[in-house]
Amino acid sequence: MVFMGGEMSERDREDIRRHIESCAACADEVRALEKLLEGVDSLGRDMQAALAGIDWDGQAEKITAAVWDRKARPAKGPGRERTWLLAFQFRPVLAGLLLGILVGAGAMVMVYRRGLVEKPPVESFFASSEFLGRVDQEIARRDTLDYLEKSQYVLLELAQTQTESGDCRLTEAAARETRQLLSKKKYLNPQLEKARMLKAKAICDQIELLFYELAQVSENLTPAQCRGIQSLIEEHNILLKIRLLKKELQESEA
Amino acid sequence: MEEQRTTPDETILTLLEKAGRGDRQAFKEIVRLHQQKVFLLAYSILKNREDALDVVQETFMRLYQKLDAYEKGRNFQAWLLQIAKNLSIDYYRKHRGRRREMEVDHRVEDLPLPAVDYRSNPESSELGRILARNLDRLAERQRLIFTMKHFNGLEYREIAQVLGISVGTVKSLHFKAVRNLKNWLSPQLGMQT
Repeated sequence: MVFMGGEMSERDREDIRRHIESCAACADEVRALEKLLEGVDSLGRDMQAALAGIDWDGQAEKITAAVWDRKARPAKGPGRERTWLLAFQFRPVLAGLLLGILVGAGAMVMVYRRGLVEKPPVESFFASSEFLGRVDQEIARRDTLDYLEKSQYVLLELAQTQTESGDCRLTEAAARETRQLLSKKKYLNPQLEKARMLKAKAICDQIELLFYELAQVSENLTPAQCRGIQSLIEEHNILLKIRLLKKELQESEA
Repeated sequence: MEEQRTTPDETILTLLEKAGRGDRQAFKEIVRLHQQKVFLLAYSILKNREDALDVVQETFMRLYQKLDAYEKGRNFQAWLLQIAKNLSIDYYRKHRGRRREMEVDHRVEDLPLPAVDYRSNPESSELGRILARNLDRLAERQRLIFTMKHFNGLEYREIAQVLGISVGTVKSLHFKAVRNLKNWLSPQLGMQT
């Protein structure tokens, strides 16, 4: 096909021509392609005849006119759409609208300035820092009272135990309470510090130390251990301090 | 078609420059020289005379808008046909709802590619009519390349530019098209099977 189409150098064409003269198969091939090209030419002529049915000069003029017409027309798009509203016949309408907006805005300003519009009640909540401080203190007071109450119960039980008989033991409930009080004290510490209840904190610390002692020994205390803890309670006047502190806290109820 | 084939580059360049300066007559001359080639390509893709004429008009409108973008030294005809091909594909996509009989696809090789309705011409040769029927049997890309090569008079390089593929691929597809036609038409071509 390249050979037939002429897209080949003259030297190559000459070589192929010589080969075709001596090769029957290739000669057949070339003849078939020549015939195919004849068909293509024939089809091309038919196509030209079909194209001739169109007025190409008129078409060229029509296309050029369309291009020049589009060129002459103002650009389409949003800009053009905006301008129709600014057309002369719409100007009174626009002026009226603008005036209405200005009058309305002015009236609203006047109404608000004179307070003619009832303002809705403000329902926002405000609490002063002093009040919040008192709340913190009250919570700390109540938690401390609860801690002292429960501690007093445990310590009284221990203090009343008969050491002479050798039967010195914490009940299971008291032992469980001891553990709970130890963990509760951890949460009580920051509350007491925040509320600046330093005296209460010092007494609670002493109780905590006692409970640590109790927690380290088993539920079955030896008489010696029992006496040791009882002497600690007495030595530090723990129960007395608890009663006094409780009284003080109860009286200082907010 | 002969007239279009012999248009020298210098003439086109001069016409383009004049059209760019607003010379209506020069632009009309460009249209007159190239509209049939654009039509054939558009018709090859769209299979409809009126649609193809619409695309021809749109192609020259686009050409006018892009006159400044044309680079000197570039093959004008291939550039123009590339615009026409893109617009034809856009047109096909836009109106494919209307063309229910056609497959919905975007690639040019998958678009239907018929030839002009020359088959009813009583003057046409028997071989030409048989060839026309068998052109429809070719794969779309082969048919498009065959049409551009033999009826649009484009060279391989120009077809490659229009389709955006390599010259080697164009040659290969053209060879396959010729081989297929030769096989299908072997009795008419006097070949021994």
